[in-house]
Amino acid sequence: MRVTVTNLTFGYDYRTVLKDISFKLNSGDFLAIVGNNGSGKSTLIKCILGINKIPPKRIMLDDIDITEFKNFKNIGYVPQKFDDFNYEFPITVNEILQASRFNKITEDKKLELLDKIGILELQNENINELSGGEMQRVFIVRSLMNNPKLLILDEPTAGVDKKSVEGFYKTVNELNKEGITIMLITHNFNESQANYTHILSIHNGEGIIKEVNRGDEQ
Amino acid sequence: MILASSEPFVFALFEYSFLRYALLTGIIMGFITPLIGSFVVIRRLSFIADTLSHFSLAGLSIGLFLINIIGFTFISDPLYLAMIFSVIGALFIEILRGYYQNYKEISMPIVMSLGTALSALFISLSGGFNSSIYNYLFGSILTVGNDYLLIITITSVIVIALIIIYYKEMVIISFDETYARLLGIKIKRFQLVSTLILGMVVSLSIATVGVLLVSSLMIIPVAAAMKVGKSFKNTVGIAILFSEVSVIGGLWLSYELDIASGATIVLINLLILVIVGVIKKFFIRKRVRNIQTDIVEL
Repeated sequence: MRVTVTNLTFGYDYRTVLKDISFKLNSGDFLAIVGNNGSGKSTLIKCILGINKIPPKRIMLDDIDITEFKNFKNIGYVPQKFDDFNYEFPITVNEILQASRFNKITEDKKLELLDKIGILELQNENINELSGGEMQRVFIVRSLMNNPKLLILDEPTAGVDKKSVEGFYKTVNELNKEGITIMLITHNFNESQANYTHILSIHNGEGIIKEVNRGDEQ
Repeated sequence: MILASSEPFVFALFEYSFLRYALLTGIIMGFITPLIGSFVVIRRLSFIADTLSHFSLAGLSIGLFLINIIGFTFISDPLYLAMIFSVIGALFIEILRGYYQNYKEISMPIVMSLGTALSALFISLSGGFNSSIYNYLFGSILTVGNDYLLIITITSVIVIALIIIYYKEMVIISFDETYARLLGIKIKRFQLVSTLILGMVVSLSIATVGVLLVSSLMIIPVAAAMKVGKSFKNTVGIAILFSEVSVIGGLWLSYELDIASGATIVLINLLILVIVGVIKKFFIRKRVRNIQTDIVEL
């Protein structure tokens, strides 16, 4: 999916959070978004997901203005925290994934994703019996259930063990090679093994975009 | 609803059609209320059933006033007005939830207060408490006719069909509203329809357990099933099983002991909740003890 952000300025009440952000991603690009806490990274993501309402002609997804964009099922999203999820009622990993599957990826593809992320054996487990890291991985698989063309990950490996982090980046790089555009908010920029094509540094709401060659040392 | 029990419940079933209607109504409501109740519990809206049942009591009171005092004949049964009021109450709740975006739960005490105040007003105007009001407060399943049974059946079929068609959307909205919004699911539309359906089911449950105990029929079997359920579908299935046991057992006890069906059904429900809680606690303790023993042995 192509993502074009043009002179995006956004704020809450009288506080400006994002100032004149612009960048352009083509299908298959991989953007890392870095910045301190409160710099505006998550606010930018919320604008692209259509949660924060913005004026027309600021964000285009596949050349469709975000204010008119309907097909959000084509965007996979893994939030930083899962406070909104009701854990206490019994539901298995498989039931969550089935309910989130609208674009009908095959059962084999689902099992393959579970295997790659390292939670194949957890598919019939109750979600409220999983550890924080295991739960994080379930939501990563959930974000891939609808064959997304754009995958947005907000610090997805926080609390996930090292081995699973490796498995996660391997999968993300593979998905990226298949042509999925990836946007990744990360704090462990130096540790990650992702094949970025662009880096957006946000500081006090102002963004600087830099293009990098794949395979370069980050 | 009190009936002198001269012969056993099973034999009386063959003899009296009203008993068969009561049993059928109970079985249908025993199925549908925990089904809806599961989604209500997940969304932490247990109080909404209580609110709607109190609002429908206003409809019942106005109905009784119109029939008994004014002499209106176009309403044959005040339960129909209870249904209309339950739906109106559901609409009020949704309007107020939109008005108080950050304090959505405020809508419920406001609607409940209005319902209770209107009930008190029209019960007073009707000459105070009488046996009809008592039956509606605590359940009068033996007075259910076949027209009411037909409404319950049609509503239940519609509710089950909607749940089957929109199962994925309902599960996602209930468990993770933010994610549902990201998937482009029309949350407000779903919320309105589900609150209206809830209003219908609440008002239809009044005959089975009465206004004061409707939320128990909807919530307690789910609360018990949550303790032992292994998955979502499994938990809903267990909740329906618990609910049916309490409804059928409660009806039988109600007939044999000449007491309100609402009391017997809800008390059996509570008994199941306690038994499940005790078994679960004992089982978990035993398992934890075994694990600890294993660790010590290692």
